[in-house]
Amino acid sequence: MRSAASMQAGERRLSLLVTVLAYAMPVIFVLVPLAIFLVYSFFSVDQGTIVYAPTLGNYIRFFTDPIFLPVFWNTIILCLSVAVICILLAYPTAYFLTTLKGRWRYALLMLLLVPLLMSYVIKIYAIRSILGLNGFLNKALVALGILDQPSTLFVFNMNAILLTLTLLLIPFAILPIFLSLERIPQTLLRASDDLGASGLQTFLRITLPLSLPGVASAASFVFVLAIGDFLTPQMVGGISGFTFGRILYSQFGTAYNWPFGAALSVALAIVVILAILIGERFGRNRGSSV
Amino acid sequence: MSQNTDLLTLRSVSKSYGKVPVLHGIDLSIRDGEFLTVLGPSGSGKTTVLRLIGGLEPLSSGEIRLDGHDISRMPINRRPFNTVFQDYALFPHMTVSGNVGYGLSVRHIKRKEIASRVAKALDLVQLGRFADRFPAQLSGGQRQRVALARALICQPRLILLDEPLAALDLELRRQMQEFLKSIQREIKTTFLFVTHDQEEAIGMADRICVMQAGHIRQLGTPHELYYRPNCEFVARFFGENNLVAGKLGTVQGEQRSIETALGRLVCSVSDQPHLKAAPDGAGAFAAFRPEALRLADTRDSDNHFGGTIADLAFAGSSTVATITAGPDSAAQRLRLRMPSRIDGSALKSGEPVSLSFAPHEGHLVLA
Amino acid sequence: MSTLPRFSTIFLAAITTLVAALLYSPLFVPIVSSFFPLSQGNVDWSSPTLSTYVSLAQNHDILAALRTTLIVGLCTVVLSVVSGTLLALYYHGRRAGRSFLQFIIFLPFLMPPIISGLALLIFFREIGLERSLLTVVIGHTVFVLAIVYRTVLTRLQSMSRTLVEASYDLGATGWQTFWRIILPNLSSAMVGGAILAFALSFDETMITILVTGTQSTLPVRLWAMMRLGFSPDINALVALILMFTVLLCVLAARFLIPRQMAAERS
Repeated sequence: MRSAASMQAGERRLSLLVTVLAYAMPVIFVLVPLAIFLVYSFFSVDQGTIVYAPTLGNYIRFFTDPIFLPVFWNTIILCLSVAVICILLAYPTAYFLTTLKGRWRYALLMLLLVPLLMSYVIKIYAIRSILGLNGFLNKALVALGILDQPSTLFVFNMNAILLTLTLLLIPFAILPIFLSLERIPQTLLRASDDLGASGLQTFLRITLPLSLPGVASAASFVFVLAIGDFLTPQMVGGISGFTFGRILYSQFGTAYNWPFGAALSVALAIVVILAILIGERFGRNRGSSV
Repeated sequence: MSQNTDLLTLRSVSKSYGKVPVLHGIDLSIRDGEFLTVLGPSGSGKTTVLRLIGGLEPLSSGEIRLDGHDISRMPINRRPFNTVFQDYALFPHMTVSGNVGYGLSVRHIKRKEIASRVAKALDLVQLGRFADRFPAQLSGGQRQRVALARALICQPRLILLDEPLAALDLELRRQMQEFLKSIQREIKTTFLFVTHDQEEAIGMADRICVMQAGHIRQLGTPHELYYRPNCEFVARFFGENNLVAGKLGTVQGEQRSIETALGRLVCSVSDQPHLKAAPDGAGAFAAFRPEALRLADTRDSDNHFGGTIADLAFAGSSTVATITAGPDSAAQRLRLRMPSRIDGSALKSGEPVSLSFAPHEGHLVLA
Repeated sequence: MSTLPRFSTIFLAAITTLVAALLYSPLFVPIVSSFFPLSQGNVDWSSPTLSTYVSLAQNHDILAALRTTLIVGLCTVVLSVVSGTLLALYYHGRRAGRSFLQFIIFLPFLMPPIISGLALLIFFREIGLERSLLTVVIGHTVFVLAIVYRTVLTRLQSMSRTLVEASYDLGATGWQTFWRIILPNLSSAMVGGAILAFALSFDETMITILVTGTQSTLPVRLWAMMRLGFSPDINALVALILMFTVLLCVLAARFLIPRQMAAERS
């Protein structure tokens, strides 16, 4: 009896420890840092030291300074474009995967997802070298006669950022679209065929609407990942490819204005949360009740 | 091990989930060595009874006594009962012998002894050859038997079975019913078996406890429940009784009359003092089985009335006729079951027939 | 899907091929260059060589960074698997505050890494914790915790509740039930989660750049080198990492498919 009782005391102590951990860990390592971060956005910097007095100065500067808002909008447009291009490439790919049978389907899906796990920095570097003046892309275009001579159109500017981010993020678009296409019951398509719809009609009126939730999730994924990336623009954007992420990062490096950087992060976070909410709202599968 | 000593007694046991009551003060005694079936539709509280006894959930009020000692607060792992779960709950990462030996090994019994007892238990359920398989490699019926072996190896005082046959197909279910019954006879352990299938209950149980809406409606042998249901619910739930509503009339010896839309019917009330004592004019039902209803030629017998055949359904060895009887304003639908004949039934739909049943094959149920 | 007209199948296959080519081109270039010398943007196919691999073995800088990455990855795996599993066990089937705390756990994974990284950077500064490998490990753990938590929780939810009930019913104590029933059934999910956590930690760059001290992990080291251009031995490294990644990928798939399912399939 005694050993059983002490065992139970041990269990109780463990469960107390787990309870404390379960509540403390997320709070200390996630909530508190984010809260401090938010508070920081109301501080200011004076000659390289942080002034711990509340002010709205950072936010006022963000909205009134002619530099920040345009970059902010341009970055949003850029990332939306990335999302659109990714989906235009990913949708046919995902659709093709669902036409394949069993093992091939998942093998090819796996093949398309593996590059995701490959070193991020290396990929940026390789893409830059492909896009560069001596790169494969220019060589191919010259060989095909599309260009007379190698061009710098694809490196150290917004185009380069757009192309690089797209290449990096396509797999994130393929997966959710594939999953939503795969979830459409075959019987629905057969029913549509049976009712006399043509292949195109079936696609436009059954498949496409039912796969839109996957498209919404894909768009939200890609957009959020693109807008949060500050390394890619830094590496391939050169001087003209200035994105919001780079400005933000520079506040913690060269510009050394942490409170202002924190305020810019709050703006970024709001956009990201909106994108996630929109993706969530339209990403919910209406077809799941079928 | 006399069948007459009580093993387990439930006294005014109630259970609520939040504010939703599921059991309303149940009293139940389980006799040592019997096969007791708890029968009821889903939502009747039958599984809750089993979970309370097993200790899987605490009581809201009342008490459970084992050999006269209150065990209401005894933790689940100290109760000398073992459960066969509806989904079998076999541990997927252990072999068959690992599963069966689990109850012994958590009690730190020596390996050698575990091995020999596991072998014995597996022989009992005829699964000796499968000792090293994993549950995923077994068929439904085999998993069922592993679950049973695992429950009986600790020699529990009571084995609780929660709709264990529900997942099996019909043929296998019949085999397993016989198998369970024979095992129970062999090891002489008390079985508490929960099911919603009345045929299963009739086929296996020594006694049946019928539950509905958190109450016990009737407790008795299958024969008693079949021929002497004590309320409308049991009469309707058990088999396909014909029930005709009416008002009680006079008592004559072991019989009592009832005024119904079909006229005056006479039914047996032997051994049912409460029906003899019920006041004249009280609401009641005349209940008689489809096989008790006969096509009658003579018009002078008791319980005689006319009807029209609405439908005939061939059901193998028997044929069931659906009959409309009584005045149009209070038409009754009755079922009549008769042996099938190779040259087909002489009856046709729409044909008028005259019917009767013997008073001793009818009985009364208070409304 | 229903049978498609021939031309649309060809069109879809063409797009898929293009996408595959786009995705693999950044991997293909360094791998080819790891075996063939590269001069002025042209691959010299005539003289395959393993010299890049030899010089990689002598590049102490990169090897030290690789070692650091592995240490960080292992610490992250241990911390995230232990705490993720405990959290999953704790929140499983519990209502009070669960969805809110779950949301908090998921935040660092959902938020752009720059925000998570900067928040941690300021937090470490405020509590006076010097930037070091410790801060990197904390950053990585906070980042990958959601994945491990989710993986283990999913397995817990798919585990029949009656397994635990059956264990108690057969006389086991809480400890016995945990060690002999719950943990073995979670183990493959934990291994799968660990592999994912390691893969994420191994390649994590953005948070690491923000919270790292003097010792850098491989991605950060590569990032710093990239400004100057890479030496050829980096290509050898890329080829090796790719092989390693594919291996991890196969392992993760192997462990994330429940054993029972695999057994039923065979």
